[in-house]
Amino acid sequence: MFTYRIHGQTVPVPEQAPPPQEGPEYADRLAEFEARIARGEKIEPTDWMPEEYRRQLIRMISQHAHSEIVGMLPEGQWIPHAPTLRRKLILIAKVQDEGGHGQLLYRAAETLGVTREEMIEAFLAGKAKYSVVFNYPALTWADVAAIGLLIDGAAVVNQLMLAQGSYGPYARAMKRICYEESFHIKQGYDAFVALATGTPAQRQMIQEAVNRWWYPALMLFGPPDRDSVHTPTLLRWRIKTKTNDELRQEFVDQYAPMVLRLGLTIPDPNLRYDPEAGHWRFSEPDWEEFWRVIKGNGPCNAERMAARRRAHEEGRWVREALAAKAARGTNGGGNGRYAMASV
Amino acid sequence: MFLQEKRGEPHVHVGAVHAPDPEMAFILAKEQFVRRGRCVSLWVVPAEAIYASRAEDAEELFSSALEKEYREPRGFRVAERVRRWMERHGESLPDA
Amino acid sequence: MGNPSQMPEPLREAVGSLLLAMADDEVLLGHRDSEWVGHAPILEADIAIASIAQDEIGHAILWYSLLQELGWPDPDRMAYFRDPPEFRNATLVELPRGDWAFTAVRQFLFDFAEKVRLEALMASAWAPLAEAAAKVRREETYHLMHSRAWIARLGDATEESHRRMQAALDLAWPHALGLFEPAPGEALRVAEGIQPPEVELRARWEAEVRPILEAASLVIPEAEPIYGGRTGRHTEHLASLLADFQMVARSGLGETW
Repeated sequence: MFTYRIHGQTVPVPEQAPPPQEGPEYADRLAEFEARIARGEKIEPTDWMPEEYRRQLIRMISQHAHSEIVGMLPEGQWIPHAPTLRRKLILIAKVQDEGGHGQLLYRAAETLGVTREEMIEAFLAGKAKYSVVFNYPALTWADVAAIGLLIDGAAVVNQLMLAQGSYGPYARAMKRICYEESFHIKQGYDAFVALATGTPAQRQMIQEAVNRWWYPALMLFGPPDRDSVHTPTLLRWRIKTKTNDELRQEFVDQYAPMVLRLGLTIPDPNLRYDPEAGHWRFSEPDWEEFWRVIKGNGPCNAERMAARRRAHEEGRWVREALAAKAARGTNGGGNGRYAMASV
Repeated sequence: MFLQEKRGEPHVHVGAVHAPDPEMAFILAKEQFVRRGRCVSLWVVPAEAIYASRAEDAEELFSSALEKEYREPRGFRVAERVRRWMERHGESLPDA
Repeated sequence: MGNPSQMPEPLREAVGSLLLAMADDEVLLGHRDSEWVGHAPILEADIAIASIAQDEIGHAILWYSLLQELGWPDPDRMAYFRDPPEFRNATLVELPRGDWAFTAVRQFLFDFAEKVRLEALMASAWAPLAEAAAKVRREETYHLMHSRAWIARLGDATEESHRRMQAALDLAWPHALGLFEPAPGEALRVAEGIQPPEVELRARWEAEVRPILEAASLVIPEAEPIYGGRTGRHTEHLASLLADFQMVARSGLGETW
């Protein structure tokens, strides 16, 4: 269970929705809080907020952070095999950004009172979720391109929405993340087009990768609105500003044409453009599979968790050494060239 | 002193005060930095806690001498390639 | 002596063999560093090592591009379509990634070797090399801060960190001395003012790294240098590294990626 510290006191974060807070004072505060959100103002860490708002944000931001960190793995394993020096540089920079996004997100969650260590412990213990899509395997170099276009494309649709959210630190992190994600999509599309316009063997590689990643990309937005237990509350407090299904539709409208115009196919016999609605019609992913993978039974869940646990264990002595050294106060100022700031 | 002018914006460094402790620093800074202008939040950080680079090192440390365009979204010119490919293959979108 | 086409043949060969050694060192170290991405001990350290990996590969591209001006194939051809005996890197950079201690020690030894080499080459009689060295030297400032900081913190922090750092140094040191194995044609390069002798660079390097290592309670081993890399004699690790590195490029599935 998470705890958080506020006004010097350690308070547990309930795992279930807290009992409704009541009383005239609570009603006034809640009304003020909701009016502030309705005016489009941001909520800052020192503001009063309903416990349920805090709990939902911690849940969402920490899941988002874990997803970035696990998301480094499927593409990261192709860094050693990147086929040109430029692609190698790009892929390192891209996976690095995902780590950077995880770092920003853990920090945004910390402003709500949990520590990064607590979040990571919960994640490594299997108590925290992360995006299902990273439990699918990246089998060839073409998967790097398909992930870059489709998964990052889906992530940007989602994150542009989150950047409009009501919690200041989360929205601020999202602004920077969205800028960097635009590089991710560009590089993904560039690698994607290189394969799609390449040799027949390369076209086949990218087609197979699209077949693998299309439905995971649709799953990235979460369960359908009819099954999403969180959505109404999240919308009311502008933690989210669009529903999962609205975002999924936005993604298909934007990205299906990018794949199709290269003469590739999308593994959905029902996919067609509806000129009257101005939208693409598509089949939903297999939600039974979605829940199976969420619960830990996807193709790569065990592998991804093992990789994270191994990195955590193998790095323990380094973290302990840094802490021991800092506790002795002997770190000094490096080579002495960097004076204390005179601000 | 770090001041946030508007909710949702970052805190920005606005200056420093001489004071014996954080509480006094806050009390004194309020009138030094917020006697006019906007403020919705003020942070006090002891100056000695700030470890800073020196102006003369900025060039070497922060501006890369080498080409790093591959990390920028503008480093890719892919639309043109897609257009040429579609022309060559007569590719168009179904019903769109 | 700015125009490579005016460079007499023996000198072109000699300058090329120095550039090849430098480029191969950088590209393989960058590759090894990039193996940490997603697996480093601390998130912030993961991000920093990823930048260092990119910088090293960026430097490699710069040196390969100078080689191309001298008539060698393009950088990708050089990195992806040569076999182990054709590589001229010191064996230090081909050794497996190891633990964070080995990465820190290897990077530290390499960064300071690169520093003394670049500072010497900034005075090189071949202007394109002198200019490129000055550019890369600027970027090296951050690397030096980074690797010195890790040595200072891990060398004597805990019993375990000391044990790991000392083991890393014992393994890396003789291979690091191999960074100063003269690449073929050294006498000519020295005579033409392209570079000072390697033995001089090694002395400058030792003067810089020894005090830092000793201040971190690490003992520098008495060991003979491990040579061979500069003439294409490598450890068994290079073949498996290159198999990883080159597998997609050499798959035959495409020409451009």
